[in-house]
Amino acid sequence: MRFSQWLQNNWFIVHVNGSVPTASSLEIIHYVGFFLLVGATAIMDLRVMGVAAKRQSATQLAQQVFPWMWTGLVLALISGFLMYASDATEYLHNSVFHQKIYLCILGVIFAVIVRRNVGKWDQQGTIPMVGKFTAFVSLALWIATILWGVNVPALTGVG
Amino acid sequence: MHHFVIAFARWVQSTRLGVGILESTWAFPYVQLTHFTGLSLFVGTNLALDLRLMGIGKRSQTAAQLADSLFAWNWVGFAIGITGGFMLFSTAALTYVANPSFDIKLSMLIPAGLVLHIINQQKARTWGQTPETPGIAKLAGFIELLLWLSVVTAAVLIPYFAAEP
Repeated sequence: MRFSQWLQNNWFIVHVNGSVPTASSLEIIHYVGFFLLVGATAIMDLRVMGVAAKRQSATQLAQQVFPWMWTGLVLALISGFLMYASDATEYLHNSVFHQKIYLCILGVIFAVIVRRNVGKWDQQGTIPMVGKFTAFVSLALWIATILWGVNVPALTGVG
Repeated sequence: MHHFVIAFARWVQSTRLGVGILESTWAFPYVQLTHFTGLSLFVGTNLALDLRLMGIGKRSQTAAQLADSLFAWNWVGFAIGITGGFMLFSTAALTYVANPSFDIKLSMLIPAGLVLHIINQQKARTWGQTPETPGIAKLAGFIELLLWLSVVTAAVLIPYFAAEP
């Protein structure tokens, strides 16, 4: 609780969220970050599920797009943290927000699982069912993260 | 033209779609979800291709190959995004058409972005044949990236330009 209060009163946090240009920039970075993150992961997952970019191997495509997942994630995390910090005491008790963060963590875990295993799955000719299912879960987790993200202001009025 | 826009907005806002979303206790987040999921596919893949055209990113494939792989889902994303966008618009069409930020977003930035995007997608086939893209490709990718960033900016600024009722 005290850390939340400290965060909320921190000079930098107050000022970056307090002026329109910087506060808007945080939002913009957050959107662009998650577009990149979810878009890249979605392409990889859709390919593993066998419904996208079939002219390329899943491994090659994953190699190409996966770095953008990390780039997007870093952008979303930094901007997200700075926005969260301005209302830290509110978010402390906000279960919808907590659930969003858990979904985000699970999303990263599943994206990494897909990336780590795509080479092995590719070698089997067609991607096995367990691979397609894992990719589907990965995609579903990110869509759920977005939903929980918009649910925070919609259901709890915060942010 | 202005009269037509207002009349159209008034009509859209009165449809069952617009009223229904606004009156429902749960629909609005799902409409936002549709818009953002579609945009993640569309803008996300646009950014990936633009950055690749600019020479940033892994070179295991050519930009032409990347453009080819992303093509179908890029436009599926656009369709989903525009569907969600129209549904959002329908909930408060009159306030949106009176909003300068929304106006610039929809009438200038998005058309410009789309035109350049289509050009880049087509030209990626020739520009992206080699691992290193030509200078013009780098410039085109960079401008498209700026355009999509400006679309997001205009969208984020919409609330700040809402007219007082």
